[in-house]
Amino acid sequence: MFFDYSAEQQDFRDSLRKLVADRAPLSAVRARLGDAHDPDLWRTVCDEMALLTLAVPERDGGAGFSLEETAIAVAELGRGLAPVPVFEAVLAIEAILRTGTEAQRQELLPSLLSGERIAVAAVAGPDGAGAAAVAASAAGDSHTLTGSLPHVLRGHVADLLVIPALAQDGPGLFVAERAAPGVTVSSPGSSFDLTRPVCAVTLDAAPAVRLGDGAGPDLDGLLDVGRTLLAAEMTAAAEACLDAAVEYAKRRVQFNRAIGSFQAIKHGCAQLAVEIDAARAAADWAAMLAAAGDPGLRTAALIAKAQAADTFTACAGWNIQVHGGIGFTWEHDAHLYLRRAKADEALFGSTARHRALLADRAGL
Amino acid sequence: MDVGYPERAEAFRAEVRAFLAANLPPGWRGLGALAPGERRDFERAWRATLAEHNLLAVSWPAEYGGAGLSDIEQVVRSEEFERAGAPTGTENDGFGIGLLGNTLLVAGTEEQKRYFLPRILSGEHVWCQGYSEPDAGSDLAGVRTRAILDGEEWLINGQKIWTSAGATANWIFVIARTDPDVPKHRGLTFLLIPIDQPGVEVRPIRNAAGYDLFCEVFFTDARTPAGHVVGGVNSGWSTAMTLLGFERGAEVTTDPIRYRRDLDRLLELARERGRDAEPRIRDELAWCYARVEIMRYRGYRGLTRFLAGARPGADGAISKLIWSEYFQRYTELAMEILGLDALAPPGAGNGGALKVADAGTENSARCWAEEFLHARAGTIYAGSSQIQRTVIGEQLLGLPREPRMDGGPFRDIGKPAAAPALGG
Repeated sequence: MFFDYSAEQQDFRDSLRKLVADRAPLSAVRARLGDAHDPDLWRTVCDEMALLTLAVPERDGGAGFSLEETAIAVAELGRGLAPVPVFEAVLAIEAILRTGTEAQRQELLPSLLSGERIAVAAVAGPDGAGAAAVAASAAGDSHTLTGSLPHVLRGHVADLLVIPALAQDGPGLFVAERAAPGVTVSSPGSSFDLTRPVCAVTLDAAPAVRLGDGAGPDLDGLLDVGRTLLAAEMTAAAEACLDAAVEYAKRRVQFNRAIGSFQAIKHGCAQLAVEIDAARAAADWAAMLAAAGDPGLRTAALIAKAQAADTFTACAGWNIQVHGGIGFTWEHDAHLYLRRAKADEALFGSTARHRALLADRAGL
Repeated sequence: MDVGYPERAEAFRAEVRAFLAANLPPGWRGLGALAPGERRDFERAWRATLAEHNLLAVSWPAEYGGAGLSDIEQVVRSEEFERAGAPTGTENDGFGIGLLGNTLLVAGTEEQKRYFLPRILSGEHVWCQGYSEPDAGSDLAGVRTRAILDGEEWLINGQKIWTSAGATANWIFVIARTDPDVPKHRGLTFLLIPIDQPGVEVRPIRNAAGYDLFCEVFFTDARTPAGHVVGGVNSGWSTAMTLLGFERGAEVTTDPIRYRRDLDRLLELARERGRDAEPRIRDELAWCYARVEIMRYRGYRGLTRFLAGARPGADGAISKLIWSEYFQRYTELAMEILGLDALAPPGAGNGGALKVADAGTENSARCWAEEFLHARAGTIYAGSSQIQRTVIGEQLLGLPREPRMDGGPFRDIGKPAAAPALGG
């Protein structure tokens, strides 16, 4: 009977939290608004921490841990809005692991696991039929892709794109080189989430390799892993917001009292602590099932993502409210979290969409 | 992470299942399926069967009449009984075994354990809880019931209220004021008082759903032996809090089972009435499903930590807020699904169940209407939602306390302070 972090997992979490605090404090994050990418930090998390290898089996060149540890990594980077594409790369690697042939894994994974090349998964919508936006045509042994993907997370730093597309024989997952002819990636100029920009990717007969040997990929399963990791990220970021609100409420004095002594503030914080606790339980549960390859993930991932999205948006909003006017300034970090919260909430389907899907999958 | 139970717990689970299969009446659907008359007879006979098979207090040491097993077996027993819709005892057992007995095990004297614990299990002593008073609800340490040592006995005067199952009890544990000249938390004593005496009067109070579930208890020169103190004279606050730790820790793995059973009834109600495909109703049903699952996950985590020796603290406050607010939300949904049928609801009621209706209860409009009413109590008793949020805010988040208006000796609280100097 054990449903909690192990001592090793707690150590890992603590060391990562310290790394993010040292190397990517919010002042450093703010200095990179725009491209939101820190190549030095990327090298550190790939080389020293080997974060991309955690859930990869040893036979594929990984460290042979599990998605539980990956979820911890994504959570700690998300807590600080760290400027590295770990979530996006992990999802792309997971797609290759799950769908690629032995030969494809051997060819693609080494440079991706080392961080030498960055792959991002071009998935953002509620179902695998992001496929419908891109058409794949067979051209001898390989394929070409045509279509557009308006919301590719951190597409601007990608060397490789993992793209769901519709071939003549059904949906498939394809890998395209960003540098290939026919591939255009927009600059991340006008992203709402300033710390995780989106790019528009346009494909015009771009050459691509189809992952796997013909069987349809489990896109829903891949999205559920994405939801699970996002739930971990959102829960940690929600904690960061509540921590900031609580710290401020302890220091800010009005009416000759710390405002945190007023029940209006205290109870608001407490209620969000309840929701964070619920979100943490749901995110950890989903990570445990994802790590075990348990089919229960089909409902648990939806529960975790919906709970975390409700919680994170509420915490990000409350943090601004507790801070008052200063919380609504550009200089304050609070809006960076609110932006991330709303962006995360929209990924892989709205919260209402998650609950509708949950009702279907749970047979309600 | 691995949420499998230890082998010995699973072995015990098999024993409990075999016991239930062998001893529950054929065709058993749950306590709620029995007619009111049958119910009382069944409960009496069932309790005797549990006592005989050592299933009332699984984790108590054998020397005090328990089964001498550990906490995990106690948890497994409760889970399996909940799944089968079989009671683990009477409502008074919740107070006698769950609260007082467990408190005596950690805070009682050897003599108290030897005297009281076997009598709790035999059913000779039937307990209720004397905490709240008309002027001391959330402010529990403000109790005014007075106890004065008179030779070899305590002399008790005052009033308790909201005493659940008081009408069926013959003993009451009470927090009483024994020293009004010190600050309020320091002048309290935890007393054990027999009810069957001229100085104690128990009167039922009808609740908002129409059931006589709780009582008020009046003490007029009531008496109890000087030694019936748990935890020391004027140290009753600490004993009272120890006991509340058991109140808030016990339901972490059985609640999800109970709420899942009720959610299944609600889903059936929505389907029967053709409302389950309505987007708003469906969204709300999915939210409810997620909440019950989250309770289940939290149950595993709570159990993991409990078995590792941690005691709930602010975590218990979080659990209480989650279940009590969920209880209101889904019973409100039931009322919405019923619509006009809730105006003159037909069928059997919920039997006055304070929480989820017993297994086997008819899925009737009246049951839901009564459950909806009872859900209002959930955010009040055992520490209101507001008190729970204060506990979380101060103990978990470390937010500063409010300035207190009740310092100093208890007897001076509320008296006018010295007049402020004029002119400022």
